[in-house]
Amino acid sequence: MPIEDYKKYFEALELSPDSQLSEVRNSYLHLKSLYSNDSIVTSAIAYELSEEKRHDIVEQVEEAYTKLIDFFENKGSDPAGSKKPSFVVGEELKQYMSGMTSFSGELLREIREKLGVNLKDVAVFTKIRKQYFEDIEREKFSSLPAEVYLKGYIMEYARYLSLDPEKVANDYIGRYRSAMKDKGKQD
Amino acid sequence: MNNGAQDKRCEIWAIGGGKGGTGKSFVTSSIGTHLASKGNKVVLIDADLGGANLHTLLGVSKPRNSLTDFFEKKASLKDIIVNCGIPDIGLVSGTLSSLDSENIKYAQKLKLFRQIKAIDTDYILIDLGAGSHNNTIDTFLLADKMIVVTLPEITALENMYHFIKNVFFRKLKIILSAHGLKDVIQDVWKNRDAHGIKHLKDVVEHLMGTSVHIRDIIENELATFRIHIVLNQVRSGREIMVGASVKSVCLKFLGFDAQYAGHIEYDETVLRCINKRLPFMLTHPFSHVAKEISKLTENLRDGRQITVTADKYANRRL
Ligand SMILES: Nc1ncnc2c1ncn2[C@@H]1O[C@H](COP(=O)(O)OP(=O)(O)OP(=O)(O)O)[C@@H](O)[C@H]1O
Ligand SMILES: [Mg+2]
Repeated sequence: MPIEDYKKYFEALELSPDSQLSEVRNSYLHLKSLYSNDSIVTSAIAYELSEEKRHDIVEQVEEAYTKLIDFFENKGSDPAGSKKPSFVVGEELKQYMSGMTSFSGELLREIREKLGVNLKDVAVFTKIRKQYFEDIEREKFSSLPAEVYLKGYIMEYARYLSLDPEKVANDYIGRYRSAMKDKGKQD
Repeated sequence: MNNGAQDKRCEIWAIGGGKGGTGKSFVTSSIGTHLASKGNKVVLIDADLGGANLHTLLGVSKPRNSLTDFFEKKASLKDIIVNCGIPDIGLVSGTLSSLDSENIKYAQKLKLFRQIKAIDTDYILIDLGAGSHNNTIDTFLLADKMIVVTLPEITALENMYHFIKNVFFRKLKIILSAHGLKDVIQDVWKNRDAHGIKHLKDVVEHLMGTSVHIRDIIENELATFRIHIVLNQVRSGREIMVGASVKSVCLKFLGFDAQYAGHIEYDETVLRCINKRLPFMLTHPFSHVAKEISKLTENLRDGRQITVTADKYANRRL
């Protein structure tokens, strides 16, 4: 990646260029949620903040995140030294995984166990707290963080398991939403 | 702090923020108390001339001297610093008998600023009143560290944005005037429709495009202009994120750096202490609020800021 791009992406995420992968993710999740939704912080300055500008920011933030994640994965240059997952996905499992369309927590756990990794490995690699993955696998929706953050975590998890991040996240979040809605009705 | 560093100039911190009642005076007195407890000499100045009450938060019922003596009796500032019962803290009370704060003459203002800078101490903390009056903003600009106290409330945030925008513009105006470019900002703003200018950032970008000279001046200013945010009266983990969000908005929409120095939770004990005229930091040194204030004071002193990550805070209860 050209050095100017690299700088630009970190700038979009309001980070210094020596930031770590976990900081990139945290900043991305925060900024995306801040500029995709209305909150007191943005409403209070709505006159300086056109919809269009907000939209641009979300796009810039998305682009920066995708590019930087690629960069970290290919270069493995995260100073904390997280390596690529150490397992190999066999052909047969790959086939099996590519045919899947629904990704329950149960299924994610199954795939993980087939790959022979434990949650601690995932947590160390992604720098996301293990507790979240436990809750994701158990579909303990009420203890999970807000949706934007949850989505980020699921994508990381899927990427780690060599699954399609978007596909997994969309399916999972779909179920999360309807569960939360039902819960809302009960309360 | 004094040892050896003979020509060490004292540091001036100003505490403002636009909206009334956010806790500026409480924060000023508490930061001051913490700095003093760490062995610094501190002078607190109550610059809220219309509604001076910093003395009350420090447990002083009727200050012997005040800025009235400075403005009306020509006393010098260093002679009206009163003791407030807390070791190493001096107070310049703002209580005024008759003078109207908005009518202070320009020459008097300059004289006051000169004498503030000449006080021999480690830290000077200036407590400002609400609003964005020019006298308030000029006093704010006197500081080495400009601190805003705001709340996770839309009205407080609105006033804070308004305040810091005014501060930034006033600073630009002063800097440009010093370079003999007195009216450029006003001119650009007057003709904003012609220039297609809607937002603050557009004004700055337009000015930067007018000449290399102006661009250099502004870039220099932007590189050092910094606002420190203190978020007060926080009631939930989610609200803690507001400080981080404000920081982003400052950068992306106003174009300058803001640092999130820290947050303070809402605690009814604060009000109870104030009503009894007890300095909170001394009577409740082990409270959560006191710890948060100590931490943010040290962040301010060392130029650090906090990073808060949503995953930890979004659903956390205090
Ligand atoms: N962390 C807190 N928890 C609970 N109450 C608080 C806290 N901080 C401030 N307050 C309350 O807010 C009131 C106003 O505080 P303070 O006088 O410091 O505000 P101010 O910004 O200086 O107001 P003004 O603009 O009028 O000068 C206090 O009397 C106190 O009751
Ligand atoms: Mg006050």
